[in-house]
Amino acid sequence: MPQASSISVLVVDDQLTMRALIRNALQQIGFKDVREAPDGEEALKSLLAKPANLVISDFNMPKMDGLALLRAVRSHPPIRQTAFVMLTGRADRELVQRAVQFGVNNYCVKPFTVQGLKEKIEQVFGQLT
Amino acid sequence: MTTGLPHDDFERSVKVHVTQGESHVSADPNVVMTTVLGSCIAACLRDPSTGIGGMNHFLLPDSGDGRRDGDSVRYGAYAMELLINGLLKKGARRERLEAKIFGGGKLFDGLSDVGASNAAFAERFLRDEGIPIVSSSTGGVSARRVEFWPASGRVRQRLVAVDNAPQDVRRPTPAPMPAASSGDLELF
Repeated sequence: MPQASSISVLVVDDQLTMRALIRNALQQIGFKDVREAPDGEEALKSLLAKPANLVISDFNMPKMDGLALLRAVRSHPPIRQTAFVMLTGRADRELVQRAVQFGVNNYCVKPFTVQGLKEKIEQVFGQLT
Repeated sequence: MTTGLPHDDFERSVKVHVTQGESHVSADPNVVMTTVLGSCIAACLRDPSTGIGGMNHFLLPDSGDGRRDGDSVRYGAYAMELLINGLLKKGARRERLEAKIFGGGKLFDGLSDVGASNAAFAERFLRDEGIPIVSSSTGGVSARRVEFWPASGRVRQRLVAVDNAPQDVRRPTPAPMPAASSGDLELF
């Protein structure tokens, strides 16, 4: 079983409050290596400079949205294997379908709970310790 | 906050009532958004350059013992995010947004001041996100009827005696927080 503490995570959201809440939830789950980016553009730069095992990304963001970030990640060979979980609103059914086409690993509907987020990540990595 | 709109301006307006858990965005000068608040908060956000504005109306759910924990704050942050994303989709610019907040009253005696928690959350959220609060009216022991013209940014507030406030305003119950998995597509 993978250890949460050995998985590096990049949290991408344009709202500082939401980034802090996601980081807090990840820390409750057991993740220790968590870094943040405020939009897709910054996230891509960050990943190319230092890959992460998991990206948790919002959809609606300035400059580069979550879907464009997903496509960019999947088109850059050094980081294309990065696990990618999209955070979506309840009305974003069509978005989820497009994200699946572009290779998203899972998605989590806001407002999420810590347990809900953990389950979504475990569906990608297996049960975390 | 402006209180001097002629009565017939309001009568001619297209009224959109924003109930708990909802948000609405518009740039139509004929639209007025209305709501009635007890301990709930309504945030009225607006880009003054484009006249695109919107209102939400939310109550942080508690965990059953009066506490407002992480799940509750995530719900509040999501309510604010929905409004902000709605504004940005219509063409507002995030860096120009300004806020007016209303509500957060304490209409009945209880161990916890739900309204104060709601107001403190909204103030902190907006401060952290760098969105200035240009006007606010929170706290107190009265319900509030709020009317917001998004295109002009005007707000009219009337205090409503608790006895005359709608029952759900006097004794609010949070809109149910959707489970993380509800509405999911089963794709994985």
